[in-house]
Amino acid sequence: MRYFLRRLGHAFLMLIGVSLLSFFFTTLAPGNYLDEMRLDPQIAPETLAALRAQYQLDQPLPVRYVSWLNSLIHGKMGFSFAYNSPVAPLLMVRARNTLLLTIIATLFAWGLALPLGVWSAEHLGRLPDRLLSWGTAVGLVLPDLALALGLLLLAVKTGWLPPGGMVSVDFESFSLLHKLGDLLQHMILPVAALVLSSLPLLVRHVRAAVADVLGAPFLVAAKGHGIPKRRLLYHYALRAAANPLISLFGFSVGTLLSGSLLVEVVMSWPGLGPFLLEAILARDLYVVIGGVLLSTLFLLGGNFLADVFLYWADPRIRKENGAG
Amino acid sequence: MRTARAKVHPRRNLPSLLMVLGVVSAPLFAGHPQPKNPKEEFLVMPGEIGHSGGRLVVSLRGEPKTLNPLIAADSRSREVIGVMQADLVHINRATQLTEPALAKSWRISANGLTYTLTLRQGLKFSDGQPLDADDVLFTFRVYLDENVHAPQRDLLIVGGKPISVRKADAQTIVFQLSKPYGVGERLFDGLAILPRHLLEKPYQEGKLGQIGAAPNQWAGLGPFRLKEYVAGQRLVLERNPYYWKADTKGNRLPYLDELIFVFVPNADAQVLKFQSGETDLISQVGAENFSVLSRQPRGYTMVDAGPGLEYNFLFFNLNDAGEKSSPEVLRKRKWFREVKFRQAVSAAADREAIVRLVYQGRGTPLWGLVTPGNKRWGNAVMPHPARSLDRARALLREAGFSWRDEPGGETALFDSDGKPVEFSILTSSSNADRSKMAALIQDDLKQLGMRVQVVPLEFRSLLDRVTQTKDYDACVMGIVSFDADPNSDINVWLSSGGTHLWNPSQTHPATAWEAEMDRLIEEQMSARTFTERKKLYDRAQEILAENQPLIFLASPDILVGAKNTVGNFHPAVLEPYVLWNAEQLYLKNVPESASR
Amino acid sequence: MTRRVLTRWLIVLLGLHGLVVCAGFFSPYNPAEQDRNHVYLPPQLLHLVDPTGHLHFRPFVYPWKLRPDTPDLREEDTAHPLPLRFFVNGAHYRLLGVFPARLHLFGGEDTRICLLGTDAYGRDQFSRFLYGGQISLLAGFLGAALTLLLGTLVGSVAGYFGGLIDDALMRFAELFLALPWLYLLFALRAFLPLAVSPLKAFFLIIGVIGAVGWARPGRLIRGVVLSAKERDFVRAARGFGATDRYLLWNHVLPETRGVILTQAAILIPQFVLAEMTLSFLGLGVPEPVPSWGNLLSNLQQYSVLVSYWWMYLPALLMVPFFLGYLGLASSLQERTETYMIERRSLGGVT
Repeated sequence: MRYFLRRLGHAFLMLIGVSLLSFFFTTLAPGNYLDEMRLDPQIAPETLAALRAQYQLDQPLPVRYVSWLNSLIHGKMGFSFAYNSPVAPLLMVRARNTLLLTIIATLFAWGLALPLGVWSAEHLGRLPDRLLSWGTAVGLVLPDLALALGLLLLAVKTGWLPPGGMVSVDFESFSLLHKLGDLLQHMILPVAALVLSSLPLLVRHVRAAVADVLGAPFLVAAKGHGIPKRRLLYHYALRAAANPLISLFGFSVGTLLSGSLLVEVVMSWPGLGPFLLEAILARDLYVVIGGVLLSTLFLLGGNFLADVFLYWADPRIRKENGAG
Repeated sequence: MRTARAKVHPRRNLPSLLMVLGVVSAPLFAGHPQPKNPKEEFLVMPGEIGHSGGRLVVSLRGEPKTLNPLIAADSRSREVIGVMQADLVHINRATQLTEPALAKSWRISANGLTYTLTLRQGLKFSDGQPLDADDVLFTFRVYLDENVHAPQRDLLIVGGKPISVRKADAQTIVFQLSKPYGVGERLFDGLAILPRHLLEKPYQEGKLGQIGAAPNQWAGLGPFRLKEYVAGQRLVLERNPYYWKADTKGNRLPYLDELIFVFVPNADAQVLKFQSGETDLISQVGAENFSVLSRQPRGYTMVDAGPGLEYNFLFFNLNDAGEKSSPEVLRKRKWFREVKFRQAVSAAADREAIVRLVYQGRGTPLWGLVTPGNKRWGNAVMPHPARSLDRARALLREAGFSWRDEPGGETALFDSDGKPVEFSILTSSSNADRSKMAALIQDDLKQLGMRVQVVPLEFRSLLDRVTQTKDYDACVMGIVSFDADPNSDINVWLSSGGTHLWNPSQTHPATAWEAEMDRLIEEQMSARTFTERKKLYDRAQEILAENQPLIFLASPDILVGAKNTVGNFHPAVLEPYVLWNAEQLYLKNVPESASR
Repeated sequence: MTRRVLTRWLIVLLGLHGLVVCAGFFSPYNPAEQDRNHVYLPPQLLHLVDPTGHLHFRPFVYPWKLRPDTPDLREEDTAHPLPLRFFVNGAHYRLLGVFPARLHLFGGEDTRICLLGTDAYGRDQFSRFLYGGQISLLAGFLGAALTLLLGTLVGSVAGYFGGLIDDALMRFAELFLALPWLYLLFALRAFLPLAVSPLKAFFLIIGVIGAVGWARPGRLIRGVVLSAKERDFVRAARGFGATDRYLLWNHVLPETRGVILTQAAILIPQFVLAEMTLSFLGLGVPEPVPSWGNLLSNLQQYSVLVSYWWMYLPALLMVPFFLGYLGLASSLQERTETYMIERRSLGGVT
């Protein structure tokens, strides 16, 4: 228990560190939000100066950091210059859309990767394993972008699926069931792109981890004892191989908010990806910092989850931490 | 449903006809015969008679940041605001001339200092509240208030003094200028009239900036009003039932029940949505995408509306390098400040290739700031010299440059001090067209022996270098004028302007020719007649062409498309290209019964 | 058997890299040479049989001409076959970057022959692909090496020593994963001189992508080390008084080999792709120098994707290279596995 409390403390310090460094980086980057207005012939320098003052862009870093912290405590996470509104509500809507997409995609990817990887490890070196290895290899080296665009192209050419977006224009007038169907239809493409781009890596890791333990004496012994193959593979082997997989699962959880950027942009999914990209390019500082903080939170959560699982799955670690 | 129909007066085609002929005579409109019971004075729009009903879906490249015209600074917000708000006098995007809007007529005093505008009778905001001169007074008070930071404020400072506004009677407003202003009534275009009954209180409390466009917070005078906003996804506008325009049959506009904007992250997504039939209109299509869409049109038509007002150019850094600069920087600035060097670069630039390769032929080579899309202000006698490497070499030789053979069969250019001519060209990495132009110029200049690097930078970083740190050699950029009037580009012309890109925001003009341009531009601003202004502006264009601070390259055509079911689709080359007549757009396939 | 597989993969990779290293010889043209009258030409297929059915021993191609009734569709002009010439003199280049030469494996007579078609400036895609590989593969290889070196170092130290060191290093890794790198890269670009030579740009790429990416493999490796050090044979060795260094080097690190090799095979293609992102910031390989990242970024435009299918070819041609790395990695890994299993059973006996 004390271990977890300590982790919580670490997480808090991490968040402070990340926010401080984010502030620092964002000031290092050239240009600011008002640059583009400067090009607008309709806007005079005096107006720009006034806006600079209003946005606190002329204040030193510590002052801005403190006032940002203050707004964080009030649940606002700073102020978006571009949207002229507090950051938190802006981020929340988009984070929700992103999570909807990535949670489903992650579940699918792991749900497919575990049986495939185990199956491949079971037939190590034989034809099914070879075929799968080639398949995953091609999947790994095919650029994600090409994959996503290819899927999109398919949707456009065939007209079977909507070319991006999250819901139809008429969404509001649909019945509940129709709404759900519409949403699912829009989700097929981005989920497929996400699953296809993460699956090969997961399968390979599962295969490597399971293959690693398959030859271990305890499994040979278990086999000798006549334990059914299915139970042997999924109960004993997978559990013994869990260690690197759990770290990997931690990553998967950690990248829930940040891992789908490319797919979101290509498929016009109204998530954090396109939103943050635009904010970065427009130098909408507090939106970027808010986004970074939110994804750090997920990263920490993922790592924490991985540690909890590790603790639970690997008695060796449990023992050491219990002692120390 | 349309009870006001009978009260529309019949002489509807006259105004537009006059404007097409270029006869601008504002007071003419004052002569409208008044209906007996002047409840509502419609502005009658010529054009196809459509039928009511249906909705139109348009995609926006990104989300509008705000619907509040007092803080809107991005083009997407302005596009949406454009169909929700209305101005006193409007620039017709097709004819590029001014026409009456909320003001049914205006009068300019003989000395050009007093503008008297008469409001239409019976105008109502989208919430049904009536509009009168007090709303107009309030609007200008807000725009001119320094604490509001409205981007419109700077437009209303003429000759260093804010315009003064007063009310003559409930329908008449008098604007007083301190100096004659050539742009005249064009000034009022795009200045949304604000609802005093809703905004007075937030204004007093200093909270205007936080107001959104929700129906209980805002009311507009445009053809559409807000119905629903889904963050990150779409914006649904509905018909403004109190709109003040009608068609020639007396039907109140707009025809459409709803106008929906869906947000997509980039231009390609816009194309996909349009191609698959999810959206009805598309504008600002790139040439390559235009070809893709034109190849197998499925129920839509693509239109090349001809050259627009975008000009793309290459410019060199002509800023004063300062004492502490490195010898390398000083040497480069010396080349760039040599007018023959710039002229040589201009002579070597293959503009035809740019039009062909970048715009797939859907564009025009450019030798000046005024594009062929601008109907009235181009200088017709300016030369358009064809590409000539010989002339470029001759110019460089005159300026003291020379060539030497390099190992590997190439020839390199050296300056009079024997240093090789090498520099870099910045482009915005998010603009594929301009990156391509830079790559073509790089190859053109290689033939002169110049070693050029193209550096694509993300746009803010590029702006920071060009306008703030001034640490760059050359840059390819483009500007889209928002209006055909020279006023739109005044900050490019004036040496004190922020978009005088090669050497921005000077306190005193750095060169004699810049001083001369300043004088000509200032003078044309206060000249009274078009001929006078045009003469001065023509001269300024010639000076610009002689000195080549901006080496103009090309201007793309305005490429748009619409479903075949969209009626009254008349794209313009001024922004907003397809939605400028949103109130007249209608759907041909809406069953007649649906409109009743 | 694994040994034979391993040699096979090595030979494949050597062959492929030979093509790239001697790009000057194998590619017919200068990769930067523009031909503005022949932009977006489709690939020319090598023919051996002419329309009359005669077999020729010298391969030939047909030039492209516009189909009479279309604005932008092309067909082969079978009336004017262009025979391929071998060992011709053409554009100047430096073999292996040192020896000046003009000899090319093949070329046309007076019309250019573009086996992979041309790009938006009429440049030969085949030449660009081979030349591009030089920069990209080296960047990918060195970048992956740098990343894995850092990752292994941090991961093994953290996993092996545990406790405070582990905590500190892992928090640091988390920090690294969380930070908005794009901003740092913006800032980095601001401090660099504008006209970075292609060579400098290249080293910059390696530095940036290598230094930023270590946190991920680092955490994976740490996970493996964490469990490896508790294995019986490691504990036994410790019991016999082995030093930390000995244990790390001889017992713990070999266990991580599988993860490292898999990661390497995955990272190399990723780094080649990462260069695409860096180009966006102005940190990539500058035009007109070709790189695989540059070639791929053409695909980002929808219009290119649907109109000019051959722009996909470079992406497909990269696949054998990356597969080669993957194949090499997995056969190396298999070798280690058999080795490890033997060792482990031995350890069990002791």
